[in-house]
Amino acid sequence: MTLENLYKTKALHKEPPAKREFNGLVKAAIDRLNDAENTELSYASRFDLAYNAAHGLALAALRSAGYRSDKRYLVFQCLSHTCNLSKSHIRIFSLCHDRRNRAEYGGYLEQDETLLHELIVNTQTLLTSVRSINF
Amino acid sequence: MQPTAIGDALFTKTQQRVLSLLYGTPDKSFYANEIVRWADMGRGTVRRELERMTSAGLLVSSRTGNQLHYQANSENPIYPDLLNIVRKTFGIADVIRQALMPQDAHINLAFVYGSIAKLDESQNSDLDLMLVGDLTYSDIVVLLLPVESSLQRTINPTIYTLSDINSKLLQGSSFLERVLKQPKLMIKGVINDFGEPLQDQGSA
Repeated sequence: MTLENLYKTKALHKEPPAKREFNGLVKAAIDRLNDAENTELSYASRFDLAYNAAHGLALAALRSAGYRSDKRYLVFQCLSHTCNLSKSHIRIFSLCHDRRNRAEYGGYLEQDETLLHELIVNTQTLLTSVRSINF
Repeated sequence: MQPTAIGDALFTKTQQRVLSLLYGTPDKSFYANEIVRWADMGRGTVRRELERMTSAGLLVSSRTGNQLHYQANSENPIYPDLLNIVRKTFGIADVIRQALMPQDAHINLAFVYGSIAKLDESQNSDLDLMLVGDLTYSDIVVLLLPVESSLQRTINPTIYTLSDINSKLLQGSSFLERVLKQPKLMIKGVINDFGEPLQDQGSA
C-alpha cells in the first residue's frame, strides 16, 4: 500500500516536513548507534539504543515524505516506500520491534548477540540512505 | 477440555498425512509405497484413502510398471482451497522445511513451538520458530518471507548457535527451558532429552 493510501485509511497523518526536526532525529540516531556499539554497556541498553536509532531514522524518512505515525511498527513498514528498503531488511527491524515489545511489556529480553549485531549493521545501512534524502 | 485443532476437526489422521505430502508438495508425484512410509500408518488404510481421494478427483494416479503413483490433481475445483487449508493447518512443518533447504547445511536443529505446535492455533497466531545452527537472521528472514505471505502468518525466528544454546542451558535460561518443555513440531533434528545440553547432531 502506498503512503497516500495509508493516509486515506487513516493509518498515517499528514504533516509538512521540517528540516530541523529531521536533523534532530538523525543526530540522535547517530549518537544512539555509536553508543549501541559500546560493549561496556548492558545488552538491554545496547539493544534499546540500536532499536531506537533505527526507529528514529525510519521516522525521519517518513517525516521527510510529509507523513507521521505514532505506530512504530508502521513507521518501519513504510521504509519500503521512504527508503526503498527490501522486505527482508524491514523484517529484521520488525522482528526487533517484537522483541522490544516483549521486553517492554512482558519483562523478558533474550540476550541475542546475533540479532543485535544485525540490527546495528542494518541501522548503519539505513543511516546512509536517510542521510541521502533531500527535501 | 482441550481445543480441537482445525485439521483434526476436518480430516482423519490418515487423510492429514496423505494430504500433507501430496498437497504439501503438489508438483511431485509419489509411489504408493512412499506415501505409506511417509504416513507411517497401515498400508490398507492409506491405500483406501488414496483410492477414495483419486475417485473424488483430489488426486490423479498413473501406473509405471506395476507401481501406482499419485499426485495432487490441480484440475479439481477446490485445488487452491485445499492447498491453502493444508498449508495453514498440518502442512506447516513441511512447508518450512522446504523453505529452509538452502541453509540446510548450517542448521543443526529446527522446530516450531508455541500455539501452533500445541495445536491450539487461533486464526492469527504467530508462528514461533527455533533454529540452532550457524546462521544469521538475514539468511533466514529472506527464506521465510515467501512462507509468511503464503501462510499469511508472521514467523518469529529465534536463532542460537550450538555453543550458545548449550551454555544458556547450563546457566539456566528460563525462556529456553520453557520452550523445550513445550510441544514441538520438529522440522530438523531430534531432541532426546529436554533440558540436557544438546549434542552436535553432525559429529556425535
